[in-house]
Amino acid sequence: MNHQHFNKVMIVGLLVAAFALPLVVRSATYMHILVLLLFYAYLTTSWNIVGGFAGVLPLGHAAFVGIGAYTSTILSLQYGVSPWLGMLVGGVLATIAGVIIGLPTLKMRGAYFALATIAFAEGFRVMVENIDYIGPLKLNGPRGLQIPPLETGLTSFMFATKEPYYYIILVMLLAVMLLTYIISRSKLGYYLIAGGEEPEAAMALGVNVARARLIAMAVSSFLTALAGTFYAQFSLYIHPKSIISLDMSFEIAFIALIGGRGSIIGPLLGAMLLRPVSDFCRIYFGDTLPGMHLIIFGLVLIFVMYYQPRGLQEPLSRMYQRLFTRKTLATTGR
Amino acid sequence: MLYIIEDMINGVLMGSIYGLTAMGLTIIFGVLKVINFAHGSLLMVGMYATYWAITLTGVHPYLALAMVIPAMFIFGYYLQAIVIKPIFIAEKNVREPITVIIVTTGIWYILDNLALLVFGPQYRSLADNPLKGKMLEVGGMFVSQPKLFGFITAIITASTIHWFLQKTVMGRAIRATSMDREAASLMGINQYRIYNVAFGIGAATTGIAAVTLLPFYNVFPTVGVLFDIKCFIIVVLGGLGSISGALLGGIIIGLIESVGPQFMTATWTEAIVYGLFLLVLFVKPSGLFGQKHDW
Amino acid sequence: MNMFSRFTLPVVALSLAFGTLAVANPTTVKIGNIEPMSGPSATLGKQGKAAREMAVEEINAAGGVKSLGGAKLELIYADSESKPEKGVAEAERLINTEKVNVLTGCWNSAVTYPTTAVAERYGIPFVVPVSVSDKITDQGFKNVFRIAAKDSWWTKDQFTFLKDIQTEFGTKVETLAFVYENGDWGKGFATQWKKLAEEAGYKVVMDEPYPSTTTDLSPVVQKIKRANPDVLMLVSNAADAILLTNTIAEYKVKVKAIVASGGGHADPSFMKAVGKNAQYLFDIVEWETDVNKPGAKEANDKYKAKNGENLTGEAVDAYLAMYVIKDALERSASLEPAKIREALAATNLTNGPGMIVGYDAVKFDATGQNENASPVIVQVNDIGKGLERITIWPKNARRAGYTPVFPMPSK
Repeated sequence: MNHQHFNKVMIVGLLVAAFALPLVVRSATYMHILVLLLFYAYLTTSWNIVGGFAGVLPLGHAAFVGIGAYTSTILSLQYGVSPWLGMLVGGVLATIAGVIIGLPTLKMRGAYFALATIAFAEGFRVMVENIDYIGPLKLNGPRGLQIPPLETGLTSFMFATKEPYYYIILVMLLAVMLLTYIISRSKLGYYLIAGGEEPEAAMALGVNVARARLIAMAVSSFLTALAGTFYAQFSLYIHPKSIISLDMSFEIAFIALIGGRGSIIGPLLGAMLLRPVSDFCRIYFGDTLPGMHLIIFGLVLIFVMYYQPRGLQEPLSRMYQRLFTRKTLATTGR
Repeated sequence: MLYIIEDMINGVLMGSIYGLTAMGLTIIFGVLKVINFAHGSLLMVGMYATYWAITLTGVHPYLALAMVIPAMFIFGYYLQAIVIKPIFIAEKNVREPITVIIVTTGIWYILDNLALLVFGPQYRSLADNPLKGKMLEVGGMFVSQPKLFGFITAIITASTIHWFLQKTVMGRAIRATSMDREAASLMGINQYRIYNVAFGIGAATTGIAAVTLLPFYNVFPTVGVLFDIKCFIIVVLGGLGSISGALLGGIIIGLIESVGPQFMTATWTEAIVYGLFLLVLFVKPSGLFGQKHDW
Repeated sequence: MNMFSRFTLPVVALSLAFGTLAVANPTTVKIGNIEPMSGPSATLGKQGKAAREMAVEEINAAGGVKSLGGAKLELIYADSESKPEKGVAEAERLINTEKVNVLTGCWNSAVTYPTTAVAERYGIPFVVPVSVSDKITDQGFKNVFRIAAKDSWWTKDQFTFLKDIQTEFGTKVETLAFVYENGDWGKGFATQWKKLAEEAGYKVVMDEPYPSTTTDLSPVVQKIKRANPDVLMLVSNAADAILLTNTIAEYKVKVKAIVASGGGHADPSFMKAVGKNAQYLFDIVEWETDVNKPGAKEANDKYKAKNGENLTGEAVDAYLAMYVIKDALERSASLEPAKIREALAATNLTNGPGMIVGYDAVKFDATGQNENASPVIVQVNDIGKGLERITIWPKNARRAGYTPVFPMPSK
């Protein structure tokens, strides 16, 4: 009882802290960094459903971010559709794309799957860069789309300050973490993990690994596309080279692996380490030693993998466990 | 018609050089079973090594091979032995350790940006060399001499590696390890040493590619990124781990890039390359020439 | 305890790190500069930084901003890596954390575009030395001031030049080929070119974007050769400009003229890398070392002594930008953004060390565009002192004693 009770208190405490954070952090700079941190945590958590549990390594999730961003932006710019609605349309389109790409590729071995997803995302970027119009829809090729600052407010998904974006992405992150938790405890989650660890054995036991993976892929691409809309509304400018970039796809995978692939809290932990490292190193070395920030980023990647190949989630949860047992001992002792 | 032939010749020549740049990647994958994301950076290192070797000594570009091959072999050998090996040991039980991908990506970032710090962002190309800008004119068709040299070098390199893997003791040990690491270890083969050697050979091959590129190309810190994705596509197209597959995969890409623009804008040929790549993956995931255990 | 240290450690580290930066010297004016310091456009960031530093050293050595009690200018750089999202994040930081008084940047139009929107939101003046995309000053922003010409002007000048040179040499140009990098910049130019070509009655025989990450341009060059245009017009970044120029020479492509659009063709490493293959090339730039303006040669010598390269149009605009900002600060006599903005809008800078450009005054129109900005056309040629870039157009700016070579003789 005590254990569970303490866990609940911790979760509630962290939630309150997360919601109260904007009251403490008044600087728009840090809010911006925080919003992007949560954005990447969200993306990675969505990625984790297929990349973590199903044991494959997708390296092309930026394509789904792009689908989401472009869909909602085109719909709102040209047809005045609310980005919230566009977000769902983008999600559905991304799901279709995810299933199409997943059907043949999810059967592949690790490296092939990773390379196939890279090729898919890069191919998609090249397409977008080459197309100015699809019928009446204006994609504007390599020049990207600018969202003019209209009236702000919840319905237009546009705000003058960072706080609303923070809360939106925070709620999105919490929802997707909850969903991950539910999936991990469901039959689907069990199939995925079984299929990820020992595909042959799982299939022998009658688990339809391919089907489970496909469902995971569909869910993951849907959720990823939602973040695309968020990103478009947050930055008000989308551009194929930045939103469908390999850099973004890679960063998602890095965050997952650094944080702990296949765990619920891992993506958030990974984002909490890697995002600040890359942001602050860029700030400090950007002007004096160009490129130094990426050297440090590379070193962090290598060293975390040396000492924690299962990600940060493992030692941290051990630490938490220890801390927590001591705590209960202390309370019972009193 | 003549135009098409001319384009095809250029496509084959350029494609074989692409194949050569990808060969190191496929060798490393064949043995270590991981994608080396730092491959483009190895090429960049090779190109800077070639650049300095030729600029400082003033030798014929291809004589730089004598310096670049051993230098790159040592570089690759110790890069694997010092930086990558620890993660393999930590992940002993995994057939395709994904964490190695992260480590190689870390190496990519570090090497590219070290080059930026050390050499600056400038674009460098060989001042004047016996190959620069030389063209053969055959019946009204233009054939680039440095590319022709590259083509010949690619064929020789592929055959040499093939011979090495088939006929030498070390080559057999490498093949054995790539087929079944556990069995090979049981036979007394030190798998980590094999990894080092394979990585060294992969890096040296990439160094050869760098030498063939430099007479007509320029070098700058992010040059590897331009070839990275191309190499990934080539090795999957040809079959991961297959030497001849890499060469043929490269030639296919070269042909598309060279013949395609005569029918559409050059930017669309990129899309065709990706399209073909996905098509091959769907139809024959092991690549055009790949088998489960090639070599 | 563990819990505590887990959270406090980063917080303490952050506040330590930021504490040092947050201390503002009351007698300095902070200028935030967002430039591509790493990544594919790093050479441009390097030039922009060197030029800014030279200007600010001069200004500070001459006593700073007098109306602000001799306030010194302080440059703060941020690396955009040529990525819009990084530029935006850095603009947020420079404005909110560094509390900069003025922003400048970002060279890549794709970065400048969303970044100026951030500055507009906070009402911080943003001086754009170079980023040529029209849309940057067409957004209706109040705080954006661009020193370089915009792409519709560059392209217009290229076509006027084309007309003038035909009249001057009596050689007719009928067909054009457009070859450009498939990005914001190249597409922007090509759109204008197509319109201008139609108006002027040229036949466009080739309209070809190519991926800027290409590794082989011989297919494109083959296509140019077969299209056989009178004039080839290019927009290229550095790596592809080098590759393209060498390949064109290798395939012995014969055209009457090649007209480039600065950028890669104006990069200092371009001439070194292509050598004689660049001979007779026409390039449009904001500024050239032989400009007939007092102080220009001295400024170039000084810059060259320090950086080993000649000043480029991009560098000069960055250099001038610092003097434009200094001039505005003198008149605003205040660090309030709105006042600086007013002063910038009223700029009429006609002299001073920064004015080494070909035109007479820096003056911004209602959109914030420098209305006098006018590019010049140069020709690369060897007149006995090795290959150099020689200003030839407009005619009143032409280097004394030089006759342009047109059409291009076969080599």
